[in-house]
Amino acid sequence: MLREATQATAQAGKDGIEAPVLDIDPFTETVLADPYPFHAALRETGAVVLLRPYGIYAVGRHEEAKTVLSDDERFMASAGTGMYDLRKPGAWRPRSPLLETDPPEHTKLRAVLTRIISPFVIRKWRADFEVEAERIVERILDLGTFDAVKEIAEGFVLTVFPNAIGVDIPHENAVAIGDMNFNAIGPNNEIFQRSLRKVEPILEWYQKSFQRESMRPGGFGEQIYLAQDASELPADSAPGLVRSFIRGGMDTTIAGIGFALNQLARSPEQWDAIRTEPALVRGAFEEAIRHEAPSQTQFRTVVRETVLGGVRLDADRKVAIFMGAANRDPRRWDHPDSYDIRRGAAGIHLAFGSGAHICIGQMIARLEAEVILSALARRTATIEIAGEPSYRIINTLRTLKELPLRVTRA
Amino acid sequence: MPKVTFINPDESRIELDIPVGTSLMRAATAHGIDGIVGDCGGGLTCATCHVLVEDGYLDRMPPVQPNEDQMLDFTAMGRSPCSRLSCQLVVTEEMDGLTVRIADPQL
Repeated sequence: MLREATQATAQAGKDGIEAPVLDIDPFTETVLADPYPFHAALRETGAVVLLRPYGIYAVGRHEEAKTVLSDDERFMASAGTGMYDLRKPGAWRPRSPLLETDPPEHTKLRAVLTRIISPFVIRKWRADFEVEAERIVERILDLGTFDAVKEIAEGFVLTVFPNAIGVDIPHENAVAIGDMNFNAIGPNNEIFQRSLRKVEPILEWYQKSFQRESMRPGGFGEQIYLAQDASELPADSAPGLVRSFIRGGMDTTIAGIGFALNQLARSPEQWDAIRTEPALVRGAFEEAIRHEAPSQTQFRTVVRETVLGGVRLDADRKVAIFMGAANRDPRRWDHPDSYDIRRGAAGIHLAFGSGAHICIGQMIARLEAEVILSALARRTATIEIAGEPSYRIINTLRTLKELPLRVTRA
Repeated sequence: MPKVTFINPDESRIELDIPVGTSLMRAATAHGIDGIVGDCGGGLTCATCHVLVEDGYLDRMPPVQPNEDQMLDFTAMGRSPCSRLSCQLVVTEEMDGLTVRIADPQL
């Protein structure tokens, strides 16, 4: 099969072959509940496929996924990083000033935000994060058996991250808003519509939550508004930027911590390893988001006709990048379906994206994961599955709904 | 294989043979050079693989891209004209004989 593919590519030459067609809808409840058979079909159908139900391209192999994410001269973000082309009439939402721009416009904005959440700033949060982690670990050790999504992943992230931004996000609102945001990146289907109906009663609150008057003093949200006042950021960009951090930073980190706990609870040997060698905690998180990418799908738009992986792509068509598929591409990873905290996947997996738009808050996510997993590893002797976990069904986010765990004190 | 020398903060030297196409950060972390942390794995978000390129090699390095330029301002040691993030220094044949000094402090 490999030889056939190579020959086809050689014959196609520099013009490329027409994209092979894949007639599966990736955004149905069945596929979203278990995306791995779709991912395999996507990777094996071609380097780039035409996804028939939507008339867009899709990539699921690591090499092509990385290229589409990072080559902004060929694949632009400014036509929207969701499925719909924001340049077309009827665009129903404004562009994100950070995510949905390309260099050089994007570069200036990113520089200001890089300063506001620089490594210096993030490191200072550690002590506060550790206090919250200790509180949570004490509570779950008392409970013994509990839902780790609610008690650990959500409990921790939804406290420390809004505190860092300087906003108040009630837990019950965060889940509904997350569902809506990550559905909106994908198609306007029933899954999205359902989540939209659910947030209707809290939309007014949500719109207010990233406005200036909602910023608590000392958070980095306030810094974003101050940078706008100083004309370092474009006028009226601050609300959209704060919203981007709320959207990008909460659900994904909750998902990653949930996945790490789910896998560690299934692997006593690796749990013991992080207890005896705490530095391995970082690998436990990094591998968790390699193994199951929280942000599953992103979109770019073809700038002009081009060839990718031997396939010819038409200008202006959307390309869906399936990061979850790329993170298990057997062309890139040995034993891609296994969870291995010693794999050294940081910087290679695509869970944080790649290129100019690579996740700007990834060191915040790493700090959160390291602090909560380290606190657990210090205080908890055993951790095991107490019931089958379930997943939330969201167009472009993979995350646990419930993870029953049982722990014992060290 | 090109040879690259790392100078530790205590002035001890480590010489590595690094395959073409591998970054200095990956080679250093794989060989347990503690002074290169590389938390983000080359994503240009942590600034913990800072090195100072010794005389004569700076113009053989790949150009500094915007994300690296931004992050160099947030290295713990502070930025100097020969500062680079070693995750962006992907080894080429031309780099044979390169010497870099590991930033102190790195964190």
